Amino acid sequence: MFRKLATLCIAVCALVGCGPSYHWSKSHPLYKQPPYSALSISGTQNAFVLTRSKWFAKKLEIAPESAQVQVTSFCERAFLDEMRRAYPALKDVPDATINAYPEESQKLDDRIFIKGHFPEQGIAVKNADGSTPALVLIIHEFIIGTDLKRELYYDYDLIHKENEEKPTSKNLSAIFSYTLWDNERQRPLFSAVEEIQQPIVKLSMDDMKSLIATAARKIRISLYEGVQK
Amino acid sequence: MKRAMAFILALLALAATSLAKDVYFNKHPVLWENADILIWTPDAQSPVDPRELCLSLKRNNSGAGEPKCRLFGEWERDSVAMHYARWLQKNMDPALDEEYLHIRHPALMAKVQSLEDNIVLYLAESGDNINVAIFDETSTNPKVAGSIAKNADKVALADKIASTFFSGKTKRRLSKEERQKLQDEPDDLYQEVPKFRAWAGVAFGYSQAHIPLTPYTWYKSHVESEVRNYRITKDSVSLWNFIDDSDPLLNAYLGGIWYGFIGLELQYRFAKHRVKTDDDDPVYDELDHWDFYQHEIGLNALFSRTYNIKSWLDISLLLILGFQYSFFVEDIALNDDVKEPSRAYKVRIRFEEAYKGGVIGGAAQFVFKKHYGIGIRTGISTRGRDMYVDPTPEAAAAPTIIGGSTIDWFVGLGLEYHWSL
Repeated sequence: MFRKLATLCIAVCALVGCGPSYHWSKSHPLYKQPPYSALSISGTQNAFVLTRSKWFAKKLEIAPESAQVQVTSFCERAFLDEMRRAYPALKDVPDATINAYPEESQKLDDRIFIKGHFPEQGIAVKNADGSTPALVLIIHEFIIGTDLKRELYYDYDLIHKENEEKPTSKNLSAIFSYTLWDNERQRPLFSAVEEIQQPIVKLSMDDMKSLIATAARKIRISLYEGVQK
Repeated sequence: MKRAMAFILALLALAATSLAKDVYFNKHPVLWENADILIWTPDAQSPVDPRELCLSLKRNNSGAGEPKCRLFGEWERDSVAMHYARWLQKNMDPALDEEYLHIRHPALMAKVQSLEDNIVLYLAESGDNINVAIFDETSTNPKVAGSIAKNADKVALADKIASTFFSGKTKRRLSKEERQKLQDEPDDLYQEVPKFRAWAGVAFGYSQAHIPLTPYTWYKSHVESEVRNYRITKDSVSLWNFIDDSDPLLNAYLGGIWYGFIGLELQYRFAKHRVKTDDDDPVYDELDHWDFYQHEIGLNALFSRTYNIKSWLDISLLLILGFQYSFFVEDIALNDDVKEPSRAYKVRIRFEEAYKGGVIGGAAQFVFKKHYGIGIRTGISTRGRDMYVDPTPEAAAAPTIIGGSTIDWFVGLGLEYHWSL
């Protein structure tokens, strides 16, 4: 009996506790309701970054000098379109409004920190049209590349290590960090770092679009799942 | 009866929840005697009268001394502080602990850290309640958060605040010079492990063949054996067949530890053992005394861990592993009137010239004021034949070496002097 219990304990320990595990999201204890139709978005103008832009330029047959600008602006548009589909009353808070505040880091896990700009305590930010949103989705970073791993970008222990491996291109991937901001009480309701992978067959702008659509969907699902019961 | 019990339990539970609701969390800020209490509120008017609050503090806490209370105008005129004050008004909640109420603005963080020994009492109306928080210089989170019911009676309200948030022991406030001195002083518990620490010590102890927590039957035949006719015993595997095993001992040692972790120690042990002559044997009538002096010289490897308990006390725990050489020096004398010793005397038992052995044990050193130590040590020490002699074909036929396996348990208490480089 005792031996069985001990084996079980060891097995559970091996599966759950003792392996390296991360918490990739964090909810505020008072996050009770996900956004429905009304939502404001901020940060998209600066968040998108394309890694391996030369490789992408070659595959997508665009000029390497303008690949970064072309792809990121395409992705931003695709992302906003997708979000507008989910949240019909989507508005935007200008990036400059949020970027005026100092950059802070937020702890998700013992080893995972995200960096971003957050509005000051006691000050509600305004939409571009002058209205005051209840909830703002702040996109901190949106990295597009191939075979990216979020540990290498967000694990405090790993980010300073040089990655010796040659870049591979099996999957089209995106890593993005965001915070759902309660603009009325000026607190982060839900923060997360997500990673999506999509196998590459023949890369085209449509693939980029579907990657972005998956990302937008993923954010929506996470916002629902993050609600504290 | 049962119903009454249930009712009382329900009442108690209700009291507990209402009490728990009053204070959301309390990280016990220092309550100063003769405190300066600064009342900070985002509302147009403070819910309590500063003078009433001071009187309530004096009434409720006999250690409060002469507190001074005033509105914290400096922060009420500061826009960053007021932003946070309004933010806190909306965000205080029983479900949130202090990290969720953290001050984020660097300017306000700096202000909190320069509060010195003033206590900031935050009061903000929130529905039918008044939210209360306390800040001090040690944290940019509120130290205490809670709420109390609104009350038009300002005296009752002040009393409630004083009893809920300012009960407890107070501390004397330090003068400016004392605060400065305290800040400049190095932390008592912060110190580097010395590169090398050495000690010399003298210990008095006791040893016996019987190792505690083991059955006595293992040693019975050795311990209870006696020597007949100067050389005859039941067996001769242990020296304890011939000489007394339970005797006081004297220990002198000189040791050192590198980086508080690994070390070496040279040690000397001395004891006097009486030969267990059989009193019924008339051959010993000629004998005045027959003793052996045990001299042991050993070298120990040490593994250590030091704990800084107080500024004046360090405790080191040591694991001792060592080897040693033992010499047994005979001291025998016949009575004065004996002219010619017996034949048995002349062919009496002889021990080996030297025995090799090992020590395993543990020690604790209590070092006071970095220099004066008291050491306690215990362990098991062995001595046997020379293990490095090549076996010969005649080995099986050769007589057993006397004292081939002589084991004892020892314990000692020593006085030590320590110094470190």
